[in-house]
Amino acid sequence: MTHQLDNLEAEIQRLLTENDRTAEQGITVQRRENAVVLGGEVESAQRRDEICRQITSRFPEIEITCDIGITRAQAPTEVEEIS
Amino acid sequence: MIRVAAVGDVHVDADVVGRYRPALDRLPEVADALLIAGDLTRHGTVEEARSFAEEFGGLRVPVVVVLGNHDHQSDRQDEVAKVIEDAGIAVLEGTSTVLELHGHRLGVAGVKGFGGGFAGACASNFGEREMKNFVATTEEIADRLEAALRGVECDALVALTHYAPVPETLAGEPLEIYPFLGCYQLGRAIDAAPTMLALHGHAHHGSERGRTPGGVPVRNVAHPVIKQAYNVYQLLSQETGDLVSV
Repeated sequence: MTHQLDNLEAEIQRLLTENDRTAEQGITVQRRENAVVLGGEVESAQRRDEICRQITSRFPEIEITCDIGITRAQAPTEVEEIS
Repeated sequence: MIRVAAVGDVHVDADVVGRYRPALDRLPEVADALLIAGDLTRHGTVEEARSFAEEFGGLRVPVVVVLGNHDHQSDRQDEVAKVIEDAGIAVLEGTSTVLELHGHRLGVAGVKGFGGGFAGACASNFGEREMKNFVATTEEIADRLEAALRGVECDALVALTHYAPVPETLAGEPLEIYPFLGCYQLGRAIDAAPTMLALHGHAHHGSERGRTPGGVPVRNVAHPVIKQAYNVYQLLSQETGDLVSV
């Protein structure tokens, strides 16, 4: 494993935030052996797929499990009274 | 009675246009206004602001927003705000607006806010110039929120920020990043006025509900937290209760 992978979670989180194609701050990265599990939610399937593409391109030796969801955008069915 | 819809962190770009619209078309049936708690765009570009204005403009209710940190990413926040304002949406930054709704005056005061942390684990105005600048930014923004809140004459007062004013609504986020998610000074500003409700976003993995030390209800309306197009809050209600069917 390269020195770069010693800080893999930090490298991935900075990549996803600072890369113009992703700009995502809300993705969680869990490391398991030579694999990472990605979590969180994004606004579109294209954004989810781009996240996986960017990580694969930068860290081709890492196996990715993508549990990123697309945030639902349905209308609410309830109102909360504030008191 | 006033009903306020709210969401934050919608991060609009061309790929999102149309996703919210079915729910937004229903919004005037369930709420009198829509408040959006920042991160309107992905990178703060003018093009993304146009996409945001297309998606959230032209509603039959007033829309009031603050910008978030993403909306500053391209250093074009003034142009972003202008595009949004040109679409008829109010953009608050240390300012306020009063909406006349069913004979009631809803006052909304807003700022983006900033980090700094919370009581017992916060940054101090001490040491390197960079650290003093950081804390000075936090305090200046919170002071502007306090002045805006105290300057509003209305029947129901709402504080709208992107960054969190209390730590309770950050529960679920790593403790280590709390100082980047909000600051206690915003909560202090909210408590300095007769605020009825405080809304914020920014913390995608946070929790929905909290209260300021002074007892003001706080709601984290970040889209990944509420998991629907918007929440609806009822103010100036004559009855008590919790959840009411729309």
